[in-house]
Parts: sequence; C-alpha cells; structure tokens
Amino acid sequence: MVIGQIPTLSWPRMPTDLLTDGYLIPEGCCDELLEHGGEPRAHVAALVETLRRMGPTALQEAGRRRDAIFMQQGITFEVAGTDGARRDRPFPLDLVPRVLTAAEWRVIKRGLAQRIRALNAFVDDVYHGREIVRAGVVPWSLIVSRPSFARPVHGIRAPGGVYAHVSGCDLVRGGDGGWRVLEDNVRTPSGISYVLENRLAMTRLMPELFAGQRVRAVEHYPSLLLEALQAVAPAPEGEPTVVLWTPGPLNGAYFEHAFLAREMGIELVEASDLVVRDSVCYMRTTAGLRRVHTIYRRLDDDFIDPLEFRADSVLGVPGLVRAYRAGAVAIANAIGTGVADDKAIYHYVPEMIRFYLSEEPILENVPTYLLSDERARGRVLDRLHELVIKPTSESGGKGVFIGPQASAAELAAEARVIQAHPDRFIAQELVHLSTAPTETSDGRLAPRHVDLRPFAVFGEELRIVPGGLTRVALKEGSMIVNSSQGGGSKDTWVLDDGELTEPLQAGVAAREPPKLPDVRFGGWHGQAQQQQ
Amino acid sequence: MLARIAQELFWLGRDLTRAEQTARMLDGAFHADVAGGEGSAGARRSGIALSWNGVLAVIGAKPPAPGEEVAEVAVAGSASLAPAGPLGRREIAPLLTLDTESPASVVSCVYRARERARTLRDVISAEMWEALNAFYLSLSRYDLEAALATGPYSVYQEVKERCALFWGLLEKTMLRDEARSFLNAGGRIEEADMVLRMLRVAVPVAEEPAAVGSPPQTHESEALSLLHAVGGFQAFRRHLRRAPTLESVSSFLLYESQYPGSVLAAFEYLREALETADPAPRSAPPVLRLGRLIADLELQQRTAVRPERLFQILVSVQDELEVIDREIDERYFTVAATVAAFRLEHPRPNDRHSR
Repeated sequence: MVIGQIPTLSWPRMPTDLLTDGYLIPEGCCDELLEHGGEPRAHVAALVETLRRMGPTALQEAGRRRDAIFMQQGITFEVAGTDGARRDRPFPLDLVPRVLTAAEWRVIKRGLAQRIRALNAFVDDVYHGREIVRAGVVPWSLIVSRPSFARPVHGIRAPGGVYAHVSGCDLVRGGDGGWRVLEDNVRTPSGISYVLENRLAMTRLMPELFAGQRVRAVEHYPSLLLEALQAVAPAPEGEPTVVLWTPGPLNGAYFEHAFLAREMGIELVEASDLVVRDSVCYMRTTAGLRRVHTIYRRLDDDFIDPLEFRADSVLGVPGLVRAYRAGAVAIANAIGTGVADDKAIYHYVPEMIRFYLSEEPILENVPTYLLSDERARGRVLDRLHELVIKPTSESGGKGVFIGPQASAAELAAEARVIQAHPDRFIAQELVHLSTAPTETSDGRLAPRHVDLRPFAVFGEELRIVPGGLTRVALKEGSMIVNSSQGGGSKDTWVLDDGELTEPLQAGVAAREPPKLPDVRFGGWHGQAQQQQ
Repeated sequence: MLARIAQELFWLGRDLTRAEQTARMLDGAFHADVAGGEGSAGARRSGIALSWNGVLAVIGAKPPAPGEEVAEVAVAGSASLAPAGPLGRREIAPLLTLDTESPASVVSCVYRARERARTLRDVISAEMWEALNAFYLSLSRYDLEAALATGPYSVYQEVKERCALFWGLLEKTMLRDEARSFLNAGGRIEEADMVLRMLRVAVPVAEEPAAVGSPPQTHESEALSLLHAVGGFQAFRRHLRRAPTLESVSSFLLYESQYPGSVLAAFEYLREALETADPAPRSAPPVLRLGRLIADLELQQRTAVRPERLFQILVSVQDELEVIDREIDERYFTVAATVAAFRLEHPRPNDRHSR
C-alpha cells in the first residue's frame, strides 16, 4: 500500500514531505511510528511533525555531523570490506528514534523481569538440585549436551544466588502488534554502550526532536551495573574492588568494554593483569598485588581458565575457577550461565516460568521446534520454505536461514544439513518484524525492520533500563538486524507518563535559585564602562 | 611589571576561563534538559541544579524582558512546541552564548579577552595571541545562531577546545614570569568562583522543611549534570567509584585537591601564582588570606561536614573569595584614588566586606 496515495485529513501536506513519499509498510508487518493509513500514532505525533518540518536536507546534514562526531569519538564498528580488509566505520545510528509508550514499557518490563528470574533459577537448579529435570520438564540429556554446560561449576552457588547479572533479551513485535521474545542473552550481551552513546548523540545532533517530550533517562546504567557488581562481591569489609575483564583491544566489542570501565571508573583488565594465588584473585598494580572481589568478564567460559576449560586458551587466568569455587571472587556473569540462553533451551523458557515462579509467562516465545524430535523434524522439513532455521550454538545472526527468502536449491541444501545434524538446529516460525521509519541515503524515510534488546541488571534487585537497544536492518526487506550483518541502531525512547516519577515534595517546589553576588567585570581599560 | 599590564593579564585569564566555564555549564544544562527527560521537569520540581533559571543565577544575568529576546528566538522553532512555563533553552542558551549585548555571554567574554590580548601582544607569546585571535575570528565567521539551533554541542565543543589550546600554549611557550602568574591567577580565581556559584545554586538551603524532615535524597541526575557541567565526570568516577550523589559531588568539587577543577585545587594554583608574582608574598594580604582559606577547607574535608551545613560553608567561602579578589585589586592593580572615586559613584552591594 502506498501511503502517499491516501489523503490524510489531519495535517496539511508539505511540499517536500519526508515521510509519505512512497512509505510502504511491508505486508503483514506493523510499523512502530505510523498507522497503516500513514498517519503517525498518537504518541509520536509531535515527533513526526518535527521530522517533517526538518525535511530531508536537514536530516542528511545531521547525518554527516553524526558520522564525523562518531569517527572523532572512536565510536566505530569494525567490518570486513569486500576486499577482505577490516576497517572502522562509524556505528550506524539512525536519526529517527523508536518510541515506546509508558504503558507498553510496563508490560515489557514485567515480562522481562519474570523471564530473567526464571532463567536465573534455572541456572541455579541445573548446577544443584536439577529439580526441573526430575519433574520431567527439561530433559537432562539436552542440558548436558549443550556446549555451554559447564561441568566444573557443578555445586558452586554464586554469591546472592545471582548468575545472570547482566542480561539482554531480544524482543520483536509481530504483525499483530504483540511482543515476543526471540532470543535470550545471559552470557555477555553487548550493546548497552550504544544505548548510552545513541542517546548522547541524539541530544547533540537532533535536540529539536526532544522538545515537548518526556523521555526517560538511560544514563544511570553504569551506576546500576556498578552497584550490582559491588553488591555480589565477597567482601564484607571496605569497598570491594570491581574490574572489567576484556579479551583485549582486538575484540569487536572492545569499545564497549572501555566505555563501561570508564563510566564506572573501574580498571579494565586483561588476563595478564590477573593472577590467582592461594585461591584468591589479585591484579598486578604498581603497588603490588591487589585483591579483586568482582570480575565483570566479557569473554566466554571456554577461555577463562585453561586449567578447567580449554587448555589452549591464552586469554585465561589459571586457577580462576578454583578461586571462584572457594568463594573468594565473584564472576559476572557466573560461569556456566550460558546453558540458559542456548537456542534449544529457549524452547523451554515458558515452562521454566511456570515451574519456578508459578506464573504465566507475560511475554510469549516465538513458536519453536526442536529438530532432534523426529516427528517435529518431519513437519519442519515439509514447511521449510515458511520457517527460519537457526544453529543452536551460534550468535550474532550467523548461519540463520530464512526459508521464504531461499531458492529451491538452497532449501534442498538446508534440508540435507538438518538431516545430517538435527540437534544442531532449531526451527522457528517467521516473525514479521515490525518496521520503523529509517533514513535512507537520499534523506527520505523508508520502513526498515527493527527488534529491541532491553538490558537488565541483577544485583540485589533486578533493574531494567528504560528502552534498550533498537537494532534496525538497514537493507530493504532484510530481517537480520545484527550489526555484524549490516544492521544499525536507533535511539529508543520510553515516554514518561508521570506515573513513575517521585511525587512533588511540598516546600521544595517553589525554591528559586539563591541570589548570588553579581559577576565582576574588570580590567584597566574597560573598568569604567563595564562595571555595574 | 606595570600595574596596567598585570591587571589586563589577570582579566584576560578571567574572561577566557569564564567563557569556557559558561560553555561547559550551558552544555551540561542543555544535556540535562534534553536527555534527562524528566530532567527539566524534575529539576524545576526539586528546584535543584541546572535548571535554566539556575544557570541565569550563576551568571548573574538578567532574564530577557518578555517579548524582546523570546520573540526573536521563537521564530526559529515552532512556538507551539516550546516548553510551557518559565524560560527554557530556546531563550537562555542563545542569550548566554551569542548575545553581544549581554556582557556575560560566551561571545562577549571572548571578544573582551581578545581585546585585552591585543594590547598585550608584546607580553604573551605570539602563538598564544594567534590562538586567541583565531578563536575570535572563528566565532565571528560562522553562523553561530544556526549552529546553536541545530546542535549547540559543536559550538560549546569549539569554545572548550580553543580555550584549552590557549592554556596549553601558555604552558609550552610562555616564560615562567610575573606575567604568566597574573594570567594564571585570573584563570584560577575565575574557575573557583564559577564552581562555587554552580554549587551554591545546586545545594539546597538547609532551613527548608523538606531537607530536614525527609530522608536524604540522592539527586543523582542533578549531581550528574553538575559534574558534566564542569567536565569532571570521569575524574569523579575514577576517584570515588560510587554513584554520584549531590553530597558526594559537592564535596568532590569543593574539597578534592587531586581534581584540578575543584575549588580547593583552584585556590592552591591561585596561591602558587600569587606567590610567584608577589615580591613579598609573606606580607601580602591576599596570599595570607588565601592560605587561611585553604587551611580551612582542608580541615573541613577531614572533619565530616554535615550536609545541611554545606550551604552555609559555600556562602562563607565565596564571601572570603570576594575579599581576596578585592585585596588582589588593591595590592597589585589599584591606583587607589581611581577606585575610591569609582566606588563613591557606584556603591556595590558587596562593599560590606571592605574594611
């Protein structure tokens, strides 16, 4: 449907109409900002109005400033060019924000909190009582066969019973407008730095968009994270030492590691900075060894301790698991958490919520089929052209096969791969990801598919930052939003309806700034004229 | 050195630092207003920190009379979208940045600094003069009003960078002599004064019922914007590793001598500069008074100050700083007669401090 052909009565038509020229919401999808008739949804009317007034030229101009600022600040993403050379390019931030209403956000927030509690309980259970297995809800054979199942941490209880300190779930909105969870990330989800940098950049580049809006702040995330990491530290006395452990500057997410360390004011360490002596973890400082209480690690289990996991890992700290087992150091996220976000385990999360919390899931899963089950496999193979196939232990959008976009030959090849290794894949119903207006190279807006990754921090309590990272597939029609696959991101606004802010305090409201002495103006020449 | 030259150097340092501090503060206020979301409303509600009225109070500038400035600026944007109620960023940011009529605006500060530098070309290094002159030219060259409307960040960024360039060249190229000391002294006293002003606007008066009865509020977002407004966020984080509360940020900005932008650090630099410049620092009233003030602050830092006393402390520190300012005038610059005559004509409210 071409929206430009439908007369809109509510506002006058502009000569260069940014949005309505050929804006075509794909069949079966819903759009985040616009109704099917092309009019803006009620909560974004002012925003869309401002965008229209700006027009394509101003948008392109802001885009140029954005790229310059991002390059200057080193907010870049490394991509491999067609010639194989890797080069930095500015992180692609789309200038049109994605907006969630307060009511919508409340549902998402409750649903996420519920899900993350259940995942956390599952990790605890898997390495302890295995009650969910004994109850026959999740098969033990499936759990132990997951590559991320960590035998060495069996029986270790993380401080405070928190395993998934930092998590991010990928949510999508289907054609019916309802939210679904596409994926859980409870290992080392990345992207929060882009949430913060996106907001900062938007306030600098497009301040006029914020006029008259009440957008909930996100900049307190580093404080939340630091508090959580301090809360789980095994240090009764004094202030615990928290460090962020990065695999090193060659890691694709190194920018985020450095960003978070800077914002939290903690040390950014590499493996060679850490040492374990007598089951206690230390870092090497100019003042000698210094005890480390909490490690926020940004590398996978496999690499963290060559004595327990991969012996060939040069990124690891020998003995770290020993220190962890002794309770001398907290590791976030806990070792072995990855078992909970395996794509095959995902299928069972709604059951987990019922099992551990005795609640009904607030956010639904996307219908998923385990291919190890023979009957399900048969049905999936019959409908391969309608489904999405994902490898269970990959991330970052690698190896995702989208049936409706595949040729007959590709379908046949995929079917052979599935039959050879059915347990390495899952099948999911195709979700028609919602779209949002996104700038194109000529400054006009076109619909592009988006998802949403909100971030939660679990220390003493579970806190979720309003909004999260909206990833957008910049290629027309593409539904793969990962930044490694040509995706971009959008600033994500959660509107504040006033319900969550603290009530007015009597007596403070009317306070005027105090009267200060006048500033002085002086100097020999200008004295007489300028002094007041 | 000639008293006239010394005074011009001193005020060159002050004007330039004022331009930079104002730019930083406006950037911080702008960010708090836009990104805080609830920030503007929240700040207005609790009356704290960098509300736009607070910014005006810091600078001591008068809000534009209704109708004149406001009408002119409102043309750029849609009036219907402007935040209702008291003056907001649309009016105040341009007033304090671009308005050549207002002596407190960033542009006016830079113009004055450049005028002074023009008469000091034989004293400061050629590179410093060129840096300042290029700064002045860049401000008059590009369309600041448009830049401010689309993205004030770039304007303030430019001001910060150009100021840093000037002070960096001073470190690199200027002889460590009297002239440099007066320039530094001016920069530091202005820095201390601006930070004190911001703190006074941000810290609530103790007598308020809410501050006494209610549980202590952390005012995190206000504290954050205060830190951003002086460019001290990262330093604070590395130093304290704690979520910023208004209380911890205030004492950091007041007492933390390891942070170069704190009031105490600025006082220490100021004392060092005056000691270098003064032929007999041991009998110089401003140096002596400054020594006592620094000792007071150090003592307060070590003995925990109750938060409700903070406001009073800020007032007394700033009063003391005004006296020091006056004493610097009297000792180094004043041809006593001129000032006396001038004072008779223009009595000032803060004359109560002169003895």
